[in-house]
Amino acid sequence: MIKNWHRLCRAGRLSVGLVIATMGFSQACIAQSSDSQQLSLQSCHVKGVRQQVQCGTLMVPEDYTQPNGERISINFVILPAIDSSKKQLPLMFLAGGPGQAATELASHIYSGFNEVRKTRDLILIDQRGTGQSAPLQCQEPLTLDPYTSVPEDFTLSDVKQCLLQLRGDLSQFNSENAIRDFDAVRAALDHQQVHIYGGSYGTRAGLVYMRMFPESIKSVVLDSVGPIEVPIGLFGQSAAQSFERLLAHCQNDQLCAKQYPNLAQEFVALKAKLKRAPVTVEIAHPRLGTNTAFTISHDKFLSTLQMQLYSMPTRSLVPLLIHQAYLGDYKPLAGLIAQSEGDMGIYIGLHFNIVCNEDLPKISERMKAADADNSFAQGMSLAMVAKACSVWPSYQPSENFYQSVNVEIPTLILSGALDPVTPPSNGEQAHAHLVNSHHIIAKNNAHIVASTACGINIINEFLTTQKPTELDESCLDDVPAESFMLGLNGGVAIATSQTKPAQARK
Amino acid sequence: MMQLKALMVKEFKEAFRDKRALMVAMSMALLMPVMIMVMLKVAIKEAVDNPPVYVKYSGAQYAPKLIAALENKNILSFAQVPADEKRNWNERNIELTIPEHFAEDMAAGKPIELILRADFNEKSLSTPIRRIKTLINEYSLSIGYKRLLVRGIDIKLLQPIKLLEQDTALPSSNAMMISLILGVYLMMAAFMSGLPVAIDSSAGERERNVLEMLLCQPVSTLKIVLAKLSCASAIAIISIILMLVLTSLAMNFVDLTKIGATFSIDASTFAILLLLLVPICLLAAALQLLFAFQAKSFKEAQSTVTMLIMVPSFIPFALMMMDDKPAWVNWLPISGQSLLMEDVFKGLAVDWSALFFTSAATIALTVLLVWVLAKRLTSEKVVMSLS
Repeated sequence: MIKNWHRLCRAGRLSVGLVIATMGFSQACIAQSSDSQQLSLQSCHVKGVRQQVQCGTLMVPEDYTQPNGERISINFVILPAIDSSKKQLPLMFLAGGPGQAATELASHIYSGFNEVRKTRDLILIDQRGTGQSAPLQCQEPLTLDPYTSVPEDFTLSDVKQCLLQLRGDLSQFNSENAIRDFDAVRAALDHQQVHIYGGSYGTRAGLVYMRMFPESIKSVVLDSVGPIEVPIGLFGQSAAQSFERLLAHCQNDQLCAKQYPNLAQEFVALKAKLKRAPVTVEIAHPRLGTNTAFTISHDKFLSTLQMQLYSMPTRSLVPLLIHQAYLGDYKPLAGLIAQSEGDMGIYIGLHFNIVCNEDLPKISERMKAADADNSFAQGMSLAMVAKACSVWPSYQPSENFYQSVNVEIPTLILSGALDPVTPPSNGEQAHAHLVNSHHIIAKNNAHIVASTACGINIINEFLTTQKPTELDESCLDDVPAESFMLGLNGGVAIATSQTKPAQARK
Repeated sequence: MMQLKALMVKEFKEAFRDKRALMVAMSMALLMPVMIMVMLKVAIKEAVDNPPVYVKYSGAQYAPKLIAALENKNILSFAQVPADEKRNWNERNIELTIPEHFAEDMAAGKPIELILRADFNEKSLSTPIRRIKTLINEYSLSIGYKRLLVRGIDIKLLQPIKLLEQDTALPSSNAMMISLILGVYLMMAAFMSGLPVAIDSSAGERERNVLEMLLCQPVSTLKIVLAKLSCASAIAIISIILMLVLTSLAMNFVDLTKIGATFSIDASTFAILLLLLVPICLLAAALQLLFAFQAKSFKEAQSTVTMLIMVPSFIPFALMMMDDKPAWVNWLPISGQSLLMEDVFKGLAVDWSALFFTSAATIALTVLLVWVLAKRLTSEKVVMSLS
């Protein structure tokens, strides 16, 4: 009896000891791996997410050809899966821009990708040059007062001023090195493979990732594609097409057509007027309420307008914006500019560094002319970039960089039919090269298909089944067509009472 | 040694002979997981599913965009109700009245008054009404924001202060509700499952005159008590293991991720829970035996023991209500374990010293009770229930 008790006691102690020992062991493991690979990982909070998430940094060489040279710290955040018991591969999120910091989008991704996050960790890595990964950000000169300044004032000295503030070897802040960082983080986190989601420029990054490290990737979602064959910056034709569709939708909508019968003509007239000379009006500062001179130039008006074409909610304001501006009321424009004030969300230094070196050199004069031959903003957006690029330090991307990517990784390609920057034709280009891919065009969607619940559900289904051609796309038909704000109070126009004041105003 | 073994064999045989009593003992372990599962299914459905709601509109034609927005959230017109649900929704009778001058007032920027009419006390209507109210408020607010925006006002002005919340709970503590329920049920199972066996092997045996015969044998009363104790506590332990296993299995049938939660019992959690609960099972069995021997008849034993056993089962509830817990509750039997269980479910590291002390205290109390019981069984008063 006593003997048995002893044995029982010993067995009992051993099991407790074992539990403690295993716990101690696993902690030692984390400490060790952090030591050898210079990975650090701890619980933290990120802005806009209530729950605790994981924040980490990984030290990587600034120049991968010199592993012992200068090192930079790559910042990342892991949004943990709600249910991690299923042991699903994580989804790595590649941000857009170029120049968006993935971790700064954490709160949007946290709620937007909720369906995916139910069973998968989401890995957000600040691309080198953004966020807290050796950011390339310019202070004052490029963030002028958005009401008094106009884009046309932007000078090369501003760019030079900006360049002086940037630290690090700019030639190393290229897309390929960014992908090397991403894959180093993947390896440091001990994932054999990951799924990747790229949106906008993130699709370019994703394609580079697929070419460089195909064995690290389980599957890919490319949302609003910028393929390597199409240089970033040629937005003239796609923006014009997106805008024309908006005009057509307004004309097809009985109420919108009635309210804004001459929208296209009003736009042309307004553009011509602003082209001749900028307009300055006195308004109450949108934020301060004090009197402010609000200057509207051609480029300012069109670039603000173009920004509104990216998403369905802002597109609904476009007819009103044009009509009011035509009538001489620029307050809606001021309200829209106020919304984007302060948080551009783009690390402009990195943006120029990549676009000026990887994309702009690939744009021939003929391509430029063809792109500028449109009825919306002509070559405006490209001209602004080209101006900055003329003084930006240059580097030569690697020879492989412009190769088309053709790998067999399961790939889902998404495009929005109304997208002003990455039109469905881009998606077709990518689709043509990728063997195991499927291209879905969302009819009532602008930039980024994952912005709707339907888009997320399709992505989630794809990540689960890995069969790009067998997805249930029916929910896309339920996404409502665009509808427009028809008056300063948002009322539904009623024939008799609405046409009169409109005429009176004219 | 031989004697104890023989006694234990006897106790277990007797316990397992009466299948119906055994079923009663295990009923808690079998039913609780089912109950938790059903409760969760209902809760999840309430929280996330958007079943169609049918509203009797009057004046729907005056606000087509609002109606479309409602429809988008599965709030539909009564005209669309399927035949088999018609009676229900007709009875529920949610009415929304849209005034004729909706469009004019909207364009003129005048406040528009909609009337939502329903029985606000009816439980089945609380979710539909909440959904309708939320949607209309959001719709109204979004128009308000746009009105200000197109007047050239920075709409961020409408939110001067933004409160960013940072929750320090560990992500794994998401399924708090389940953990709390399960913690309480485990404690109850530890206490209640051995109860029929304990009463039967004490008061029951006395009534059947088995106890008298047993005490006539040349064995120490301590061995008799130990045999009875191990049998009753073994049943309780089996019941707990069954409950944990079945709950883990049952949770696979509930999609907790829908409410942002997860629940799983891995091997180490399982081991720690058992480590916590086994002493409780022993203590419970000792208490039950003590009070059952104390009672005059089987029937009395049943009622007193049930009553007394309910008291410690409510300790976890009491702890839940207590916001400021004095330090000593960490060390006491039952309260200590239930606090530790809470930590385990929250995914916090186990406080091994607290675990050790509370287990030691529990076992010490059990030993004391066993000793008292063994002493008492030597007295004829107890054996003949004369006290």
